Amino acid sequence: MTAQLSPKDRQERVRERAFTTAGLIAAVTLVATIAIFLVDLTISSRGSRSTFGWSFLWHTDWNPVTEEFGALPMIVGTLITGFGSLLLATPLALGIAIFLADYAHRRIVEPVKYLIGLLGGLPSVIFGLWGLFVLVPLISKFEVWFGHAVGSETLVTAGTTGVGLLASIVLLALMILPYSASLILDSLLVVPNELREGSLALGATKWDTIQNVELPYIRRSTVGAVVLSLGRALGETMAVTMVIGNGMKMPGSLFDPANTLASAIANQFLEATSPLYVSSLIELALILFCISIIINIAARAILRKRTQ
Amino acid sequence: MSWRKVKNSVMGLVVAGSAVLLILVLAVILWHIFSSGARYLSWDFFTKPPAPFGEEGGGVVNSIIGTFLITIVAAAIGTPFGIFAGIYVSEHRGQRFADIVRLCADALQGIPSIVIGIFGYTFIVARFRSYSAVAASISLAFMFVPTTARVTEEVLNLVPSGLKEAAYALGARQSSVIWNISIKTAATGITSGLLTSMSRIAGETAPLLFTAFGSRYIEWNMARPMSALPLQIYIYASSPYPSLQQQAWSAAFVLVLLILVLQYVSRKLISRVLRVK
Repeated sequence: MTAQLSPKDRQERVRERAFTTAGLIAAVTLVATIAIFLVDLTISSRGSRSTFGWSFLWHTDWNPVTEEFGALPMIVGTLITGFGSLLLATPLALGIAIFLADYAHRRIVEPVKYLIGLLGGLPSVIFGLWGLFVLVPLISKFEVWFGHAVGSETLVTAGTTGVGLLASIVLLALMILPYSASLILDSLLVVPNELREGSLALGATKWDTIQNVELPYIRRSTVGAVVLSLGRALGETMAVTMVIGNGMKMPGSLFDPANTLASAIANQFLEATSPLYVSSLIELALILFCISIIINIAARAILRKRTQ
Repeated sequence: MSWRKVKNSVMGLVVAGSAVLLILVLAVILWHIFSSGARYLSWDFFTKPPAPFGEEGGGVVNSIIGTFLITIVAAAIGTPFGIFAGIYVSEHRGQRFADIVRLCADALQGIPSIVIGIFGYTFIVARFRSYSAVAASISLAFMFVPTTARVTEEVLNLVPSGLKEAAYALGARQSSVIWNISIKTAATGITSGLLTSMSRIAGETAPLLFTAFGSRYIEWNMARPMSALPLQIYIYASSPYPSLQQQAWSAAFVLVLLILVLQYVSRKLISRVLRVK
């Protein structure tokens, strides 16, 4: 067979094979990357895992001086900031998406979508800068006012720096808002118009239609969008690092300085001197990696069922 | 008015209010960056490295150079992997392994940037026992590849299948269909995707913290520690000196401008693609 091939054919066949191989290599690399991450983080956190075992996950002490490391304060901090920001951002995101899909004039939809994309594309560190110099002073004022209002001495005197869980929650909410709003908007835009028109023709008001026809229609994809936003919020690093205050204790209230898994690593990795300290921080990264992989795959599974 | 109609009007106001709130907040953030950032800009800022400790003045030219170098090298490393993975997934649509690749790309996109930074440290920096800009580029490439792969796949899926079928009917091989039909039709879209991915990684800080590490000097050698705009912003913002904090705002202004330009060009390209369709 090969003997009958013209030089041009042979050249094409070589190119064919090169193309297939390159595609396969790239695809396999992508899949292997996840495995390499997992293996590398697991090996590098060996010191911490063999010293503390599973108790690393529920110990509340994080003390570099005595070399006692437990991740619970960071896990709690991550969950509070993640779910707190979700609680703030999701209703707003829904409102914005509904406004753009059902109320706004077509001419303002595009500019607003553009602005949302712009906000979503701003780097985390820029949000952190803004949070640190604009948002944190506002939160601090709010804390003093709140302290006076409820008559709490400790809040008025001690809790006035403004950095802490509350500042992180508000900043995170702002950061995930554009993301979840645009995801929800995309699913609202594919609601068939016949459904809308049918409901309106039956005498339903616009809001009746949204509540009884559109929202049930997009329920699954909205859940998917919220889970994806949660994944973002849990892993968000720089902005949170700059406003959360690097607290190492279990947070007692929303005004306390705290740490998330991500912010603890960013704040402390370069100062970590002992091998056990370093490997404990790497184990935090391993926990964060596993959480984000699980959440992302769960979200895709939710979203995929919707399209089938 | 009936209860339903009252609810209708109230909820209309509520959703409009949430949109207005978002636009207001966005406007406030951008206004702060542009007003605070532009106020302290000077010629020195773009041409000089940081002043020695205790002295006023100085600039961030070392970080601007660093951001360009690190981003471009990361894109150069990531582009072939991203594009070929995208081609693979698009050509094997519906097959099991292609679905797994797509899922992995999505999962990789969701990995927190700090985890990528730690990986860059344990995988590269710890192995070679030195912080380096190239370690930062490789770390960023891990963020660049999945986004590029997904965009490439989506753009390739837009190529009309009739066009490809016509080529196959004329006896073309798969590679020449991919190369002469799909890639050439989708080139503009892929370029737009590459620029968007670049605008993403140009603003990343966390992957650089433990890899590029930062430097106070102008550095062209990728094997050495290097500064970058996001790193500089983080370090200056956390410093107690007002003059450095002002420079952080100016650096933020420059970084946002750079990202906006990349996104603008990318958008122009993609809108051209969509108009042709």
